[in-house]
Amino acid sequence: MSRLTVVVADDDADILALVKIAVAKADLDLLEAATNGIDALAAIQRHKPDLALLDVSMPGMTGLEVTRAVREDEALAGALVFILSAAVDQTAVDAGFAAGADAYMTKPFSPRTLAAQLTALIEARATAQ
Amino acid sequence: MSAFSSLWRRYVFIDNPSPIVKQLPTTLVFSGAVLLVTLIPDLEFTDVPVTIAGGLGMILATSLAIVFSGSPSLRRLALLIPFIDLFAIGLFRMGTGGPTSLFSAMIILPVLWIAVQPQRRYIALAALGTSIALTLPYWLEWRFPAESSEWLRGIVTPIVFAVAAAIVNEISRQSDARVRAIHQLADERDVMLRGAVDYAERLSDNEGRMRAADRLTRSVLDAVTEQSVIGADVTGLIDVWNPGAEKMLGLTAVQAQGRRYMHEFHVEAELLVRSKELNYPPGETVLNPGFSALVESARLGKAEVRQWTYVRADGTTLIVEVAVTRRVDEQGTTVGYIFVATDVTQALEVSRLKDEFVGLISHELRTPLSSILGYLELMRDDEDNPLSDEQVQYLGVAERNAHRLLRLVGDLLFTAQVGSSSFTLDTTSLEVEPIVANSVESAGPNAATAGVTMSFIPADEQITVLGDAQRLGQACDNLISNAIKFTPRGGTVSVALTLEEGKAVITVRDTGMGIPEEELDQLFARFFRASTATRAAVPGVGLGLSITKAIVVAHLGELDVQSEVGVGTSFILRIPVAGPVAIPLS
Repeated sequence: MSRLTVVVADDDADILALVKIAVAKADLDLLEAATNGIDALAAIQRHKPDLALLDVSMPGMTGLEVTRAVREDEALAGALVFILSAAVDQTAVDAGFAAGADAYMTKPFSPRTLAAQLTALIEARATAQ
Repeated sequence: MSAFSSLWRRYVFIDNPSPIVKQLPTTLVFSGAVLLVTLIPDLEFTDVPVTIAGGLGMILATSLAIVFSGSPSLRRLALLIPFIDLFAIGLFRMGTGGPTSLFSAMIILPVLWIAVQPQRRYIALAALGTSIALTLPYWLEWRFPAESSEWLRGIVTPIVFAVAAAIVNEISRQSDARVRAIHQLADERDVMLRGAVDYAERLSDNEGRMRAADRLTRSVLDAVTEQSVIGADVTGLIDVWNPGAEKMLGLTAVQAQGRRYMHEFHVEAELLVRSKELNYPPGETVLNPGFSALVESARLGKAEVRQWTYVRADGTTLIVEVAVTRRVDEQGTTVGYIFVATDVTQALEVSRLKDEFVGLISHELRTPLSSILGYLELMRDDEDNPLSDEQVQYLGVAERNAHRLLRLVGDLLFTAQVGSSSFTLDTTSLEVEPIVANSVESAGPNAATAGVTMSFIPADEQITVLGDAQRLGQACDNLISNAIKFTPRGGTVSVALTLEEGKAVITVRDTGMGIPEEELDQLFARFFRASTATRAAVPGVGLGLSITKAIVVAHLGELDVQSEVGVGTSFILRIPVAGPVAIPLS
């Protein structure tokens, strides 16, 4: 089985690097790392990855807006969306799922836990298929 | 003063003459008679000693009149005087020719005095006195008159005098009655006048008080410059317009009062929405739908504060919070409404900025902490480059402090949310015991490090509440970590869960330093720190208890504290249980 592909996006370079490490730990194939919402959506549309891992608060487009655009694009029907956000209250989490996210993790996060969750999400998808 | 003296004179001489005033005519006439007899040769004293006796009698009568006039207590004896006069005149008549004397007519003077007395018996007394005076020569000589004309004089003249006395008596009585009536009328007039004066004074007082009250009301209304106070009648026509309204809506009182309707300053669409909400019963006639939407709750006697948009005279708008109250008359009938509005445009803007700030803090503080904690974990997990024990220990310190900072950020965010009322509970039906047990368990390592013994006594039954598991856990964590922080090494922290009167009761008791009684009231205030805590340099910013209290209140519960300095503190948290009170474990 070929490795699953992923596009990540976060406007904070340090966090982005941390996310990349977690992605590598989960043994995913990182196609592109974007630092704003617009680039992120373009990369997702270009690569059609299996998974998009998005920060919420980003310049250009927020992670929630990117999620909604992905859900509205039929060509991206199979993509999983994982949101990583600094907003911790229930309203923010609810808004993430309402936008169409498959998973939501709050910052600060443990790279180890993030890797485990990514793996779990992908395994769950594989089982469902 | 002259008016007073003339009144006094009238009273003394006419209404209530003194004995000397009454006696004076008799004395003067008598003196004139003496003078005439002395001066005119044809007249002579026929009996000088008797005449002298008459003169002495007159002097006695006049002297008594003077004495009685000076003494009010003797005045009731004054009626003796005219009888002495009669006797003196009788003697004088006898001494100046007897039946042929010129001066018999003088007798009429004392007779009139006697006759003006109010009672009719004095008429008879006057007649008797006259008869004695005229027949005095026969009495003194002690013989019966020889001729019939002589004794008849002793009867006829007194009868004539008695008739005259009767007429005088009647006139006097009628005159007295009239005087009394006039006096009574005058008294009544005085009473009425005094009443009228009193009434006028009271009226003037009341008017003064009303003016003062009016001035007070006006000055209060005028002093309210940052809120608009507008009054309208039941149709909405404006009749009160304070300076605050002038400032807020850009119209003067003259331009608004009696000319504009209240609902003209509202956005029509808002009134329409409210009108639909009110859902009038079918068939009810609403005279003025726009105005009715504004006052419907107040009309039904409910206090209402609602957010509306006011439209200024220049067409610009502002958001206001309007309190509407009913105006009633003395019978309790609604005669209008009062609208007190506060401009909340700025307050809403502040609230929006606060929310924005909270969002910004949330992102900007948590993001660097995410990096710190994430990279610390990577270092710890790096299997290729294992760390020395010392390095692991240093990393632990860095991690612990990063988590402390994270908790502080969380507390600040939560406090901001409570302040702007934007925090919500994720409520589910949940068991309390696992939440408390989890808090006790996670505090275990801290307690061990601090040398504090911990214990937990669970409830005998299962207790379920409607609540937010994460927030309730946070409340328990706060109370337990506080108890550990404030308890010296060797002390104990005991946690108990019980069910009391339909409430889940969590008690956290420590044997710590305690809180002074005078500080207990402020304990739940934001950023408050007890003096015992600052003195002992226990770390913290004073948010834990205010957050715990906010969580408990949001769960419709109560948080109480009992404390004694040097002995310990107990926090008692009570939350109403959900649905059926308790499910027995058995």
